[in-house]
Amino acid sequence: MRSLLAGVCLLMAGMGMSAAGAEQAKPASLDVKQLMQNLGHVKVAKGTFVERKYMSILSTPLELSGTLIYTAPGHLEKHTLLPKPESMVLEQDKLTLENKTKNQRRTVVLQEYPVIWAFVEGIRSTLAGDLPTLSKFYRVSLDGNVNQWRLQLVPVESDMRAVVDEIHISGSKNWVRTIEIIESGGDRSVMTVTEDAS
Amino acid sequence: MSRWAIGLWLAFIVACIFVISRTEFSTDLSAFLPRSPTPAQQVLVEQLREGVVSRLILVGLEGATPEILANTSKQLAAQLRTQADFVSVNNGEHVGEDKDHDFLWKNRYLLSPAITPAHFSVAALRNSLEEALQLLGSPAGTLVKKILKDDPSGELIRLLEQLEGQARPAMQEGVWFSKEGKRALLVLQTKAAGYDIDAQESAIAVIQSTFARVAGHDTSVQLQLSGPGVFSVSTRERIKGDAWRFSLIATVLIACLLLLVYRSFRVLILGLLPVASGALAGIAAVSLGFGSVHGITLGFGATLIGEGVDYAIYLFTQIAPSVAPKTTFKRIWPTLRLGVLTSICGFSAMLFSGFPGLAQLGMFSIVGLIVAVTVTRWVLPALLPQGFTARAVTSVAPTVMALVKRAPVLRIPLLLLVASAFVVLIVLSQRGPLWSDELSSLSPLPKADQLLDEQLRNDIGAPDVRYLIVVNAKDAEAALQASENIAVVLGQMTIKGALQGFESPATYLPSLQMQRVRQAALPTTEVLRENLQLALRELPFQPDLFKPFLENVAQAKTQPLSTRSNLQGTNLALKLDSLLVKRAHGWAAMLSLRGVTDPEAITREIAKLPGPQAIMLDMKYESDQLYQTYRHGALTFSMLGGIAIVILLFANLRSPRRVFEVLAPLAAAVIIVTCVLVLNGHMLSIFHLVGLLLVVAVGSNYSLFFDRPCDTSEDRERMLVSLLFANIATMIGFGLLSFSHVPLLKAIGSTVGMGAILSLVFSAILIVRQENKPIEKAKSKV
Repeated sequence: MRSLLAGVCLLMAGMGMSAAGAEQAKPASLDVKQLMQNLGHVKVAKGTFVERKYMSILSTPLELSGTLIYTAPGHLEKHTLLPKPESMVLEQDKLTLENKTKNQRRTVVLQEYPVIWAFVEGIRSTLAGDLPTLSKFYRVSLDGNVNQWRLQLVPVESDMRAVVDEIHISGSKNWVRTIEIIESGGDRSVMTVTEDAS
Repeated sequence: MSRWAIGLWLAFIVACIFVISRTEFSTDLSAFLPRSPTPAQQVLVEQLREGVVSRLILVGLEGATPEILANTSKQLAAQLRTQADFVSVNNGEHVGEDKDHDFLWKNRYLLSPAITPAHFSVAALRNSLEEALQLLGSPAGTLVKKILKDDPSGELIRLLEQLEGQARPAMQEGVWFSKEGKRALLVLQTKAAGYDIDAQESAIAVIQSTFARVAGHDTSVQLQLSGPGVFSVSTRERIKGDAWRFSLIATVLIACLLLLVYRSFRVLILGLLPVASGALAGIAAVSLGFGSVHGITLGFGATLIGEGVDYAIYLFTQIAPSVAPKTTFKRIWPTLRLGVLTSICGFSAMLFSGFPGLAQLGMFSIVGLIVAVTVTRWVLPALLPQGFTARAVTSVAPTVMALVKRAPVLRIPLLLLVASAFVVLIVLSQRGPLWSDELSSLSPLPKADQLLDEQLRNDIGAPDVRYLIVVNAKDAEAALQASENIAVVLGQMTIKGALQGFESPATYLPSLQMQRVRQAALPTTEVLRENLQLALRELPFQPDLFKPFLENVAQAKTQPLSTRSNLQGTNLALKLDSLLVKRAHGWAAMLSLRGVTDPEAITREIAKLPGPQAIMLDMKYESDQLYQTYRHGALTFSMLGGIAIVILLFANLRSPRRVFEVLAPLAAAVIIVTCVLVLNGHMLSIFHLVGLLLVVAVGSNYSLFFDRPCDTSEDRERMLVSLLFANIATMIGFGLLSFSHVPLLKAIGSTVGMGAILSLVFSAILIVRQENKPIEKAKSKV
């Protein structure tokens, strides 16, 4: 788990961190506001996920699956069960990573790792319907209607843009169905979330 | 006879001036820290003087919003990075880490502790690849995949992990901040060593002017500086300022006093002669005895002026009309000599206290007093105008006599006061310690500076280095090899839970021997290719993905070994330099330990290692020990000083009753002064203890004169008036020091200043001599 952060460190250094101030997002349309309001009404959500990662260095895509738990306003848990158990818990500005098989546990303060922060905030702020925070990291635009909507997030910070081209989040009403991350090098990952029957 | 005396005196003064002209003056703070007895502590003191630690300047910015502070921090750092005075400027921005990562990347197969022949077996490679795959599935995968083809066994990540785990400041707006977000933080390292105060001063000036430029007319942001260099500079300023100011003010005030009393410039000059001679002799003696003279010693000169002028005052004031000065002196000489001797006993305690600085003060005072009294005794009488007599005596005497006559009325109230002060002290000592137990109480730094430093250090997250393993070796290679052996033991102890982690210089630069071992452990390209192929079976990596890995390992097998010069310009070099130090003889490696729970076990285990002896240091224990040793020493010497004074009094007065009467007012003064200090919230330090001994040493002069039988009432009048003036002079000398910004001078000044007045007043109250009667007779005649 710790290696994850070390990797991030390395990358950030390689890119030469710059500290451009956050650009102002475009004035959000009424639709985005409406969607955010709808999403903001969700207090607790549980689901299972399947995530496929398509990478140029791999001959076949990587598939991970597990469960997601969201509690308003900002608590998010991702428990990967397959192929190897691993869990991430996001609470306020702290991300705790745990690998039970290796008995490793590590807490990260998001402010120290801007790229990871941008990643997790893209998803958490969307779930929380927190447009101001989301706009701090991304230019937000919206397609579709209430039953079938698709948010497009484009990073504003150059550090993040060097890693991620776009994030697409699509869903129906106040449920997020898929999260697609398109990376700068052409790799991408798609996560599909299904609501728990209970 | 007197011509000879004057000639000798002049020759002596010339010799003193010659010595002083060749004297070096220092303001080195370590003079007021105890001398370090153990070799390991020696290493630390050296580090404090010139090591990396001594070159750090901590900068705090506060007083504005986090955005403004962060912006100021970035601009300040950017501009300071272009200045030659600083080796590094760190504010949390990831500037300069490229070089670190470049070094780690290029040397990863020489640096990684995981490199053994088994590390590249099929099974081990398979394991590494599976881990890599899992990492690709995590959010970090995006980042890790870029280096995977070169480094599938994860050496770089392993190295980065090793360097992590050190406490770091919190981040806000991309720069370091204190936890609560009120203060932006920077850590600078100066090119110059900490003891090079001139260079430190110019570095500080650069910071201040750059800050002023960056802040512009926005005055809300405040700049705070701390660190050894900053302290050295500010202390030098303070000492310089205090030494000159107090000596000058004391001279002027005492000159005014003399002028007021004797109304003669000639007598004024004569009065200052003994003191000036004493001061010159004192400085010359310290210079010869210690090699250099500390600024604080010069500051202490003010007390010598106050104390040394007393002798001239006794002489001038007690000369009766139409009596030759020499005759007067013969009369007062026994008492005066005894007074000087008791003072010397007191100052001797400082001479033997174990603090080079305090010992200087002791020697300065002793030599100064001896010379002052000698000049008063043998030179002054010859220079005094014929028929000299002090006019002020006649005007002040009646009042003084009246007061002294009535003073004994206060005996009972005084006894009650002393008794209650005693009770207060006992009650307070039950509640908490009256004595400071911290070594920092000896620090010549004001409390506020110490507090700011502590806060900044906390904010930076610099771990309190409590446990340190120090190993001395003949060269850097041997020191690094020893560190590697120790690291193996510490690694095992970490798993057992005896400590949480440690930092070793060999982490940043392994010994050449270790690098060769690792190089030899790298497999040939053929073997590696074969093992990799087997390990990759059924894993989803693209074929030929790891070709760069094969090339990198092949290259690493023959690459030149890395040395200190390869680290030049990296942050890692700074870390290495703080842990691997060149000493006068050989090199020392230091390993700092974190989260130690079982120091005994660690001490035991490292003692078993062959090779150079490693010492485990518990800094807190050592410094507590050190302080206790010195407090014990100071107590012992103060006691011996006190006992010497009592013996001296017995030998001269030959009457237990008189000894008791001479000492009673002094004891009362010591108790009251202690009580006042404690009630004012002071934690008593060694310096206060020395001050209390000086109260006895100086105060005994007064009580001895009170005790001395006088032939006539006029003599007694003159004696009392001379005591009054002498006391005022002493009070000016010591009292001024209580306004000093140097804690040592302040502690001694306030203690002795207060004690001197009380000794005089209490002597008047407690010592009643029969010679009072002749005065009444004299008056009734009128």
